[in-house]
Amino acid sequence: MSFMEFVLAAIGIASAVGVVGFRNPLSSAFSLILHLLAIAGLYALLGAHFLAVSQVVVYAGAIMVLVLFVLMLLNLKSESGRRIGIVRSALTVGIGLVIFLSISAPMLAQFADLPQATLEQNMKASEGGVKAIGELLYSQYMVQFELSSLVLLVGVVGAVMLAKRKNVQLMPREGGMGGVK
Amino acid sequence: MVELLILLLKVFLVMNLALVLGSTCTWLERKGSALIQDRVGANRAGAFIYSENRFVNILLVPLRMAGWLGLINTLLCDSLKGIAKEDFIPEGSSKFLHAMAPVVAVLPIMLAFAVLPLAPDFYAWGHLVHARVAPIDAGILFVLAMGSVAVYGIALAGWTGNNKFSILGSLRAVAQMISYELPMGLVFVSLIVIYGSLDVYTMVEKQQELLWGVVPAWGVVYQPVGFVVLLLAGMAETKRGPFDLPEAESELTAGYFTEYSGMKFLLFWLGEFCEIALFALLLALLFFGGWDIPWVTLPEGVWWAALIGHAVLMAKVIFFCVLQIVIRWTLPRFRYDQLMNLGWKMLLPVALVNLVITAVAKVLL
Amino acid sequence: MDPITSYLGIACLLFTIGGIGLCLRRNAIVLFMCVEMMLNAVNLAFVAFSKIHGNLDGQVAVFFVMVIAAAESAIGLAIILSVFRSVASIETTDAAELKW
Repeated sequence: MSFMEFVLAAIGIASAVGVVGFRNPLSSAFSLILHLLAIAGLYALLGAHFLAVSQVVVYAGAIMVLVLFVLMLLNLKSESGRRIGIVRSALTVGIGLVIFLSISAPMLAQFADLPQATLEQNMKASEGGVKAIGELLYSQYMVQFELSSLVLLVGVVGAVMLAKRKNVQLMPREGGMGGVK
Repeated sequence: MVELLILLLKVFLVMNLALVLGSTCTWLERKGSALIQDRVGANRAGAFIYSENRFVNILLVPLRMAGWLGLINTLLCDSLKGIAKEDFIPEGSSKFLHAMAPVVAVLPIMLAFAVLPLAPDFYAWGHLVHARVAPIDAGILFVLAMGSVAVYGIALAGWTGNNKFSILGSLRAVAQMISYELPMGLVFVSLIVIYGSLDVYTMVEKQQELLWGVVPAWGVVYQPVGFVVLLLAGMAETKRGPFDLPEAESELTAGYFTEYSGMKFLLFWLGEFCEIALFALLLALLFFGGWDIPWVTLPEGVWWAALIGHAVLMAKVIFFCVLQIVIRWTLPRFRYDQLMNLGWKMLLPVALVNLVITAVAKVLL
Repeated sequence: MDPITSYLGIACLLFTIGGIGLCLRRNAIVLFMCVEMMLNAVNLAFVAFSKIHGNLDGQVAVFFVMVIAAAESAIGLAIILSVFRSVASIETTDAAELKW
């Protein structure tokens, strides 16, 4: 692994532990933003340039702003109440370790002995430029693309309907634009 | 060795643009606002330097002229004053986040200069020099991404201020910035549809031609509506001009800036002026042909053609900086709900319809 | 272990960290953020697979996962806001009882 990959992976893992570990939910949110930016850097190093920039625009730039908005509007404090006991935490981490070993060992064992030549060739072929992904999206995955736009529409409508207050009518006010026609 | 020289050239160009132009914009703002408001402005510091020695006195004449114009006041004295002020961190909030907020607000703006070309490609000492720092193929999308990340500096600044004015100001500023990213993104998509590439250099290259032999094929000819939408959306995104409710001094006691003093405040301020320079550069590159002189064709790849092109680009950038400063000091401020109405109910549908018409026209023609 | 498969190991590690966070935390927004982290780990695995196999299908899958995550985050946070309005807290232990 090159130096840049190592640094970005270390930042990603450290900020992931930070998301889980911080008491204050705002610190968790900023840790997650750092994690998303580190993962975007890893995508760029893997050759998926369009995905790296998309990750910054969509995840770190929009979804986390939404999370920050909700956190600031609700003005949340740290978790109150009983803290989870040390026995429970250790048990959870132990089971997590078991799960990690059981999912990573077969995956790594299967891909551990790839011939180097095909690996190089495949790495060249999967440079994720915008044009290449666009061609694939609009030809082979056209139906999924249209369905995903439908999912986004449902998401927008659902979010507005769920989040508005129940006794407010969403109707335009009289003369409410105040000069901006 | 040659690569090092080319790298130094690129560093010089970008630093020139981002930092020097950003600082010069502060001076332009001070003197320009003074001219617009029919007063003189700053002209005291350094204007009365005098020496008994006649030879030294003659050498001090350019210094006195600079002081008379207000350059020393803005560029030297303000910075020294900012450095010397007490650095205040409000209690009850995280010191680290409070100190990081200006950095997070300014760093993406500086990074966004990396993908914008500053001169046509030219050959120097046998190497082809791309006059941009990072020629990635998702050029404009990177600028949009950096605009999205710059929102967090404002959110951090407001939250760590730990008082109601800061939080309200920062919530308003964040809502304004993310609302106006949408028309900006749609205008970028219309430009991508016309020019067929996300790379800004390709877009500028394609603007060098002439439409029907007479009119230069600039972006503003292809997309006049897109130009107006980007002008408005960009000024709202940089919280400049009539859209500066979140940071105006008479509203909310300076909004999210409230708890910042000294050098951190100046860093926010410098970031805002660098954003002015970035936005002016975007307008000049995307809509006004970049380094294109309308009916003149310069030979490609020659170093003096690149120099002339860079000078033309800088002239256009300075024009747009001055335009933004003049707009800011001429028009009164929008109210917050007027601002959000303009963004969501006017600019977004206009940008969408513009995109649809552009796409249909591109397919049919 | 060559560099590409180490990405798979990182993805598995991030997935389990997200899963551990999902089990340990009680704040609804932090739970949501742990789910986002698990989705990101899966995205990383997809991109690594796309590099191993040499075609772009993995990256298109990541694109769709991002779209779905955006829609899901909007609705999830709207649900959290609604629950906050009725229960006045977003800890999951406070909303554990049905209304009587």
